[in-house]
Amino acid sequence: MLENVGSRLKAWLVAGIGTAAAIAVAGVMGAFGARHEPLSVLAPAGRIETGQWLLRPLKAYTAEGESLYGVPLKPGAKALVLELEMTNRTAKSTKDYFDVLQADQATVDPTTKPFIVLMRDSTLSPELHPGMPERMAYIWQLPDGAAPPASLELTVIRKTYKPRDNLYGLPGWFNPAPIGTLKLPVGSGSDTADIQP
Amino acid sequence: MTAQVLDRESATSERKWRRRSLWSLVLLIPLTLAIECYDSVKALLGNSDLFPRRVAWGESARFGGSDWKLTDLRGAFGMSNLPPDSVPVLADFQVKIGDPDLQNRWLGCKVMLIDKDGRRWSPISIVSLKTTDNVQTCISAIFSGAKSGDTLNLRETFLVPKEATKSVRPALGVTSERPHFLLFQLEKD
Amino acid sequence: MIRKLANIVLLLVAVSLCYGLQLSKPHYGDLIGPIPARGELGDTVVGRGFEARAEKVEFARNLKVDRFGDSKVLTTGGIWAVVTVEFVARAQSTTVAVASWRGSTGLTYDQTERLSFTNGLLPVAIDPGLPKKARLIFELRPDEASDAVVLVSEKLMSALDSQAEISLGPVAIGPDGLPPGTVDTLDMTQPI
Repeated sequence: MLENVGSRLKAWLVAGIGTAAAIAVAGVMGAFGARHEPLSVLAPAGRIETGQWLLRPLKAYTAEGESLYGVPLKPGAKALVLELEMTNRTAKSTKDYFDVLQADQATVDPTTKPFIVLMRDSTLSPELHPGMPERMAYIWQLPDGAAPPASLELTVIRKTYKPRDNLYGLPGWFNPAPIGTLKLPVGSGSDTADIQP
Repeated sequence: MTAQVLDRESATSERKWRRRSLWSLVLLIPLTLAIECYDSVKALLGNSDLFPRRVAWGESARFGGSDWKLTDLRGAFGMSNLPPDSVPVLADFQVKIGDPDLQNRWLGCKVMLIDKDGRRWSPISIVSLKTTDNVQTCISAIFSGAKSGDTLNLRETFLVPKEATKSVRPALGVTSERPHFLLFQLEKD
Repeated sequence: MIRKLANIVLLLVAVSLCYGLQLSKPHYGDLIGPIPARGELGDTVVGRGFEARAEKVEFARNLKVDRFGDSKVLTTGGIWAVVTVEFVARAQSTTVAVASWRGSTGLTYDQTERLSFTNGLLPVAIDPGLPKKARLIFELRPDEASDAVVLVSEKLMSALDSQAEISLGPVAIGPDGLPPGTVDTLDMTQPI
């Protein structure tokens, strides 16, 4: 009888130690993962690779809402426009570019989502096709009465490819994570010159 | 009590329980399957028109809380821009509203034509004919606010190939009655 | 001792068996994927809900389209490929909504979103016994024009449903990098 109790105790102990070890390892790994590394500063004149996209910033400027690629802005509102060349690096047509660029919260209200327009013919957020560079415009509406910012700071976000996701076993791009920040001078009007490499 | 006796006792009870567990699987596995499938089967039956209820010419049938009667099925002529060898077909119904809660009882209302081979045609929206004001389609009637006792005239327009015009019969399905649907017979049947 | 060892060996065998199965057997995504119905240009490809027959493929540098009543010329960074397909429904009326162009290297170009369906673009409603023509319009790199396969299905997630896979065959590429017969402007305002 006593022997029985002893072996049970032993089993409990082993299980307990194992669990504690697992929790400790997970905690340490989590701490390493959460370590805050400062984001690298990306050169605005270079090409930026985000996994799905190859980005080449062209120019940033503020403009009145009249002739802005047919975007439905509030009448009289000012908008911050970022023009860039985007190339789909994946094997499929996609429009997964809504989270690629995040404007600095001081410049743009974080709840305003940008309109994203194909500059070629003002199509609002079309799919972009593999290996075909297109000039796109991100258009943020500025709050009423806000002074036009002198520079635009952006966080560039990449996603990671998984050949099989955990839910459906299908390929896809997951886990958005920032890769760096980008600072562009903001001109006035669409005739601002392109950034030269 | 020695350890040996204890061992033997637990061995017999273990064997007994193993046998019970195995036998219970015979019951549990089909039960699990049934529970797992229940929702899917229900959704499948609730979305498809599987079992026809025939309605003789001139008679009306209770369906989705109202009385449905086929009043006319005829080809329409004089329409332009039609594909070759196709005939527009109009199906007219007279519905006496019983339960006025059409938004629930008529939900998913679908009128179709079924030919002798079981092919099914849905109404078309592109080709429309001039209709008098008091004629509605099944979907527009849902939002008409008709009250109990009202009589509605419904008309659906179809486009069918010429060879099928002889054998097509109108049919009607609503979500609240699926998998059953009404299959209207013509005068000549 | 031997018993313990045998248990460990059994465990290892089970692990390697499971790993082998995982490597060699199709994955869930493949099992529930679309079911291909294959054919060539000009063949009638028979799927579960619809039949499709690709009549011709045309290439163009620009497209002339109607947009809100205005005539407009759409340019592209690559070339436009326009596939004229005749559809007919089989057992019941249905809608064909999704098409893409898979080039020889496997790059997949979805149907363009820069035109509206009034130009003959999908989705197209089809009925049994009544053939209907539609245009599938793609924007693609010229080097993806040859040996392409056009994939057509009724819905976007055509899990366990048929997908027509129409092989378009080889296309020679001219010295200018474009397929010969590439026209300057193709008029999409003309009826099909």
